[in-house]
Amino acid sequence: MTERAFLGEFEHLVLATALRVKDGYGAELMRELEERTGRQVQGGALYVTLDRLERKGYVISRMDSPDARRGGRPKRFVKVTSDGVRALAEHREMLLRVWQGIETTLEEA
Amino acid sequence: MTDRPPAGLRRLLAWVLPAGPIRDGLLGDLDELYAEHARLGPIAGGLWYGRQVLSVLVHYRLRPLLRSGGPGEGAGMVDALGRDVRYSVRTLRRRPTYLVLTVLTLALGVGGTAAVYGIARALLFAPLPYAHEDEIGVFWKKTDWTHEEFSYIRGQVPGFRDVALYRFRDMTLREGDGPAEIVPVVTASTELFDVLGTAPLLGRGFRAGEDTEGAEPVVVLSHGLWQEMGANQSIVGTRLTFDGTSHTVVGVMPRGFWFPSPSVRAFLPEPLDPELQNWNSSLVGRVAPGHEVGEMTVPMAQLTALLDERFDYPAQWDKTVGARITPIRADLVGDMRPAVLATLGAMALILLIASANVTALMLGQLDARSAEFAVRLALGANRRWLVQHLVIEAVLIAATAGVLGGVLARGGFGLLGQTLPLGPWTELLRPDWTVSLTAMVIALAAALCVVLLPTISLWRGDLRHAMNSTRAGRPRLRLGGRVESGLVVAEVALAVLVATGAALLARSVASLYALDPGVRVAGVGVVDVYLGGVENGRTTVEELTRALAALPGVRTAAAAQMLPLRGGGYNMPLTIAGRPELEGASTEFRTVTPGYLETMGMALREGRTITQMDRPETEPVVVINEALARTYFPGVSPVGQLLGDDINRRSTRIVGVVADAAERQLTGEAQPVRYVAFAQLPWVEQQQSLVFRVAPSSDPVALLEAVRQRVAEVAPGVAVRETTTLSRVLDAAVGPARQVLVLLTILSGLALVLGAVGIYGVIAHFAARRRRELAIRIALGLPGARAIADLVGHGALLVVLGIGIGLAAALGATRVLSSLLYEVRAIDARAFALAGAALLLIGLIAAFVPARRAGTADPASILREE
Repeated sequence: MTERAFLGEFEHLVLATALRVKDGYGAELMRELEERTGRQVQGGALYVTLDRLERKGYVISRMDSPDARRGGRPKRFVKVTSDGVRALAEHREMLLRVWQGIETTLEEA
Repeated sequence: MTDRPPAGLRRLLAWVLPAGPIRDGLLGDLDELYAEHARLGPIAGGLWYGRQVLSVLVHYRLRPLLRSGGPGEGAGMVDALGRDVRYSVRTLRRRPTYLVLTVLTLALGVGGTAAVYGIARALLFAPLPYAHEDEIGVFWKKTDWTHEEFSYIRGQVPGFRDVALYRFRDMTLREGDGPAEIVPVVTASTELFDVLGTAPLLGRGFRAGEDTEGAEPVVVLSHGLWQEMGANQSIVGTRLTFDGTSHTVVGVMPRGFWFPSPSVRAFLPEPLDPELQNWNSSLVGRVAPGHEVGEMTVPMAQLTALLDERFDYPAQWDKTVGARITPIRADLVGDMRPAVLATLGAMALILLIASANVTALMLGQLDARSAEFAVRLALGANRRWLVQHLVIEAVLIAATAGVLGGVLARGGFGLLGQTLPLGPWTELLRPDWTVSLTAMVIALAAALCVVLLPTISLWRGDLRHAMNSTRAGRPRLRLGGRVESGLVVAEVALAVLVATGAALLARSVASLYALDPGVRVAGVGVVDVYLGGVENGRTTVEELTRALAALPGVRTAAAAQMLPLRGGGYNMPLTIAGRPELEGASTEFRTVTPGYLETMGMALREGRTITQMDRPETEPVVVINEALARTYFPGVSPVGQLLGDDINRRSTRIVGVVADAAERQLTGEAQPVRYVAFAQLPWVEQQQSLVFRVAPSSDPVALLEAVRQRVAEVAPGVAVRETTTLSRVLDAAVGPARQVLVLLTILSGLALVLGAVGIYGVIAHFAARRRRELAIRIALGLPGARAIADLVGHGALLVVLGIGIGLAAALGATRVLSSLLYEVRAIDARAFALAGAALLLIGLIAAFVPARRAGTADPASILREE
């Protein structure tokens, strides 16, 4: 990957959520994302994004504990790596810089 | 379990995802979450799951497919596909003419093909509703089979496990005290359902012995009739009256079952009479194990030997010659095959031409946009992206055309069902979503073929070079120029061919309507009734005519055994006292009630018509037509003369002469006809047509329902077979030419539109290619009008070439139509000239539009742009 990776909007949301729920699995992430964003999240989009984040080295995932409630299917547990945390921090920095000085304008509106 | 996602969607999801642990994880997550969404109801849950499947499809299948090579690669989550689609939509919207032309062209071709395919599928390719279609065959028909023959060979037909006798007929059906209706039924020996191998939906089929005289009458209903009667599950065991006899319902056949025609409503055992020699039945059998329907020569030789032993056939009816078993499919649907397949072929040809048109339009667009493409390439786009853009554009066009074509197909399906001579088979035609789906599939397939040529052109042509060569003024991307011109010539030729046929038929149909049928067609309503089951037919008919005449709005009413224009009726021997030389003469013979000749508007030439005064006890009378008077009483007045003693052994006196009416067909010489008094005839025909005339300004159709009700009130046992008008009887007499004319008119309209689009596309392309050259010439002083004329001239050349080829082909091809033509020769100068002129006019207009645009463009701006 390039040194300064850029996080897409949805990548950012997924990565932050993964950090919040710690070692969570797919369905948990979807629930949490929907709750926080108020939007419906599509499984396909989440998984593709996780795949990409994993390729970038921001998360690692492992398959574990098949569950009868899920038709005997395993869960994909996701953990954010230190690279991932750094990327989030950089992203946050960037966002803050972008927002600097305009928050008041928003409040006035 | 209710908290499991819909199985089909789940399987689809599993199939879409690449196999592996990730797939299992996602499937598990969605299973888990589904349970939560399904709490809002199964529909909400299903919708949610469906959206999930769609998202997986987009993210795992579509995107990777489209992203590879596109400029969007590496752009992270940016929606490459969506952006490309939006880009294509934008560029298409900037070219509305191109968009409308391509969509319309494709939609017409696709809609027509899907409609015809839908019909072909329903009639020709769908499996027949019998268990062992391959093992069922129909026996040869030198003449129809008799009860006597069947009873003799029954149970011992070599090579067959079961053989059934059946015949197709009409019966009256009454439910309780309700009005009688006519239903087509099959009466058969009890083996019928064993042969066909179809189990009833409810109850049972026939039992052995039910086809003997005096057996308890039973009936098996078709699914359609059962539905009409309320689809009552407990119908088995109830009673229905067929032809005046009460029958017990023993079974109901499943949906989709029909034999030998979809119009059949019920199946009844035929009481077999081993002595009966009437010919009216057919035999159908299922071959024994080890035999094949196509290879029954040996068993049939044994069967004919068996027949020969017992029966002494006259030579022309000899059943022992030409024994043959026809596979049931060929027997039932074989007749329609050529017509349907030919229509399908013609339609496919039109679709091909439509696709060729779209290809030509696309090539033209490529040319027009090659500078844009070259710039994009210079800016870093690659060819793959360009091709992808083309494909997306084609798919967008195809999807729009598919939707439109689907709508057209639904409409066309119904229209074709009516215009093709399909008879009762129309019942099998139910437009369903597959027709529209077919349209979409064909549209997408066509689009992918269409995009092939432009893609090759794009791939092969070095666009940077193209940009340079533009500067040098040489035409670019030459591929397709000649192909396009060839396509247009072929299109025009085809359009001329179809239009010529349509013009011939139109002239023919017009001359048929111009004929005088001898009756005043307007204002006459017709009610065909079947008396089966009523006790006193004569009084019933008289009561009915009186009741109809008394209805408000009806001027006069009468009855006849056979109406004019319906292709025949009784023909009776004619003898005239003192004229022995007339031996063997015969004339048409019609029984009519008083007022019939007036109601039909037949002109009285001499004497009087038949009146209420002509009763059984008075002297038998007859009214003749002019043809009879001309033929048998030349030069003398026939009124007062006596005709022979063939009716009830008494002579009939001629009391009047009426003008000739088209008693048989609309065309041909007038036949001699006798009209005799219904009241004086010793017998009553079961089939009668009631006719009524309304006031000149009103429409008989408005009264048909009231008339039908009145008939049911006055004579509940009489079945109304059909209510119609005399105008429609005339339409039917004009016949297949009229039906085929509708079809050909539609097809030629289609061909004309496509031809025009093709000419437009090619001239537009041609003009685009020569834009720069033209601009320079105009800048150097060439008048714009000359430039326009030049381009139109190029179009005209193609059109004239096409017309020439088309007319030459028409000279040969229209002979096919000659059996449908009346008083028009298959080679008719006017029809040919009409078709040619129409094409030339349309072609010139189609060429003029782009030519004018090219000729009036500002040369300075063109040259600057280049």
